Amino acid sequence: MKLIALAAILALAAGCAQEKTRYGDAKGVETLTNQYGSTDLQMMAESMARSMSQAPVIASNNLPVVTVQEVRNKTSEYIDTRAITDSIRAELQKGGRVRFAVDAAGMNQQTEELKRQQSDLYAKDSAAEMGRMVGAQYRLEGNIISIVKQVKDTKDVYYKLNLQLWNIRNGLLEWSDEKEIRKTTTRG
Amino acid sequence: MNRKLKIVAAAAGLLLATGCATKKGFEVPGFAFGCPVGDTKVGSMEDLVRAKTVVEGRRSTVQATEMRCSKSGDLIRIDANLNNDSRSVKRVAYKFRWIDREGMRAADEEPWKPLMLYDNSNLLVNTVSPNNKAVDFRLILRSEE
Repeated sequence: MKLIALAAILALAAGCAQEKTRYGDAKGVETLTNQYGSTDLQMMAESMARSMSQAPVIASNNLPVVTVQEVRNKTSEYIDTRAITDSIRAELQKGGRVRFAVDAAGMNQQTEELKRQQSDLYAKDSAAEMGRMVGAQYRLEGNIISIVKQVKDTKDVYYKLNLQLWNIRNGLLEWSDEKEIRKTTTRG
Repeated sequence: MNRKLKIVAAAAGLLLATGCATKKGFEVPGFAFGCPVGDTKVGSMEDLVRAKTVVEGRRSTVQATEMRCSKSGDLIRIDANLNNDSRSVKRVAYKFRWIDREGMRAADEEPWKPLMLYDNSNLLVNTVSPNNKAVDFRLILRSEE
């Protein structure tokens, strides 16, 4: 009798602890916490890419060459700002209006590959030549800041992403825009 | 003198006729308030909003009331006015769906963008098409309450 009761309790406990995994909508509104999340990343990237595609230097359809520099994270939390610029780059690239030159982060891999192709392993006529890389005309950089306020059961977070497109040759600011997001969490 | 009068009268008649034929917002065939409508019968702003707005999931009292489009190079710029005529704050999410010449999706599905509308208020959402393949669009709304 005791054994049956024990087995029943164990089965119940196992039942309670059962996990369920489901696929969700990657583009859905995510409000699990008020920390920087996927919806913020997607909204910022889309808003900035659409705005930038209307900048005169991009809209002129001259296929300008842009390099992506750092988006400085000035918030109080960890944000992979590379994910923001990667998404912006992907959207602009799909729009077919901008070409991207290899950036500082990818330079090592680029030069390593170039050097590798210069080795005796490759046929000279198909190997990429040295000195053929295209320099960027514009550089994209920016900042993301946050202001966090908390009183008792309410926490308010404000994010602002500012991006700028600078002309490398003359140092002129060709385009700049901001995207703001406010999230408030209340308990109870 | 009589002939001159006839010419002036004819010119005035023509001017009047052209004036009546071009209702504001419907100057270009296949477009209404700058927005592409194709063969859809659109005779007013209400018709345009009805043709271009889709409600998915939970319905909300928030509604699109106005929509205007313009060309920005080879891209479509859209301004859509959302109205909350209730006495409480409402939360909705929206996205645009882009359609190409063949009626297929011109771009990946956009993320849902959450919005908060104060009671008895309007909010203007604007966007631009992601590429020049997009020639038509739908504004998708869903309640986030």
